[in-house]
Amino acid sequence: MMKPDDPAVVGILRRAMVARIATVSRNGRPHVNPLYFISGNGKMYLGTTDRTLAALNVKANPRVTIMFNIESEPNDRRVLRIRGGAIVRTDSKLCRWYVVRDLRKYIFSRRGFVNALAHARLLPLVRRFVSSGEKGQECVLEVRPEEAEFLTAPPGVGRHLNLS
Amino acid sequence: MKRITLNVDPVEARDLLERVPRACVAFVSDEGPQVEPVSVLFKDDRYLVGMPSSAASHLTVDEEVVLLVDDGVQFFDLRAIYVRGHVQPLSGMEGLRGDFFWFEVQPTRTVAWDYARIREVDDET
Repeated sequence: MMKPDDPAVVGILRRAMVARIATVSRNGRPHVNPLYFISGNGKMYLGTTDRTLAALNVKANPRVTIMFNIESEPNDRRVLRIRGGAIVRTDSKLCRWYVVRDLRKYIFSRRGFVNALAHARLLPLVRRFVSSGEKGQECVLEVRPEEAEFLTAPPGVGRHLNLS
Repeated sequence: MKRITLNVDPVEARDLLERVPRACVAFVSDEGPQVEPVSVLFKDDRYLVGMPSSAASHLTVDEEVVLLVDDGVQFFDLRAIYVRGHVQPLSGMEGLRGDFFWFEVQPTRTVAWDYARIREVDDET
């Protein structure tokens, strides 16, 4: 196990784009889903809404395990796994802080902008979807990492599988 | 009544199971939620999952797991197949990596989403 502030861990967190967060429901059932995230202040912040399974589960059980890889380098098979405790934050100050950094990381980057531009006709729908409150109020899962480890993804996931 | 959805028919996201960009399995142990990177083989409508043997010691037959196969980084590229199901032992499959623990996920619920397919649909609920 490594400390979450190990330079190798911090290096992956700087480059990773999607966090896959595993949580447990009130009834002890597993769940995992991909979320965008920001790291800072020694913590990780994952954006979602408060009626998603991830947020409901964190409210019931704060233990989380999160996996990261470097999507831009598919040949780098390192997978970072972090365990920690999480809380659901809905306060507007933190949510605003998160949204600004989320937009900077995912939309106002060159690739993010090109992607948004290519789907410009869908943006009004996204805006309505986000503001509809269908999935609840915007919130941030604030994760305090406790331990980290590196795994190796199965070689060429899905490609090495040869049935005789 | 209309609602906006990202969900698609899992059949429409089946290509994810053929090239498996990223895959993991979540389950619950005494230490809380666990998640492991896995290999996936979708064959004859069966979800076959390979996990390093060292990581599989917590898994038991009939245990509930979630298999997530996802792809994309940019917003409108995000796609996934989410399979909730139970672990079943695998037999009669030759040629799978011997140093992996292989099992089948018998699905109880399968969902897929594709952010580029966001659209308005009739709310049937």
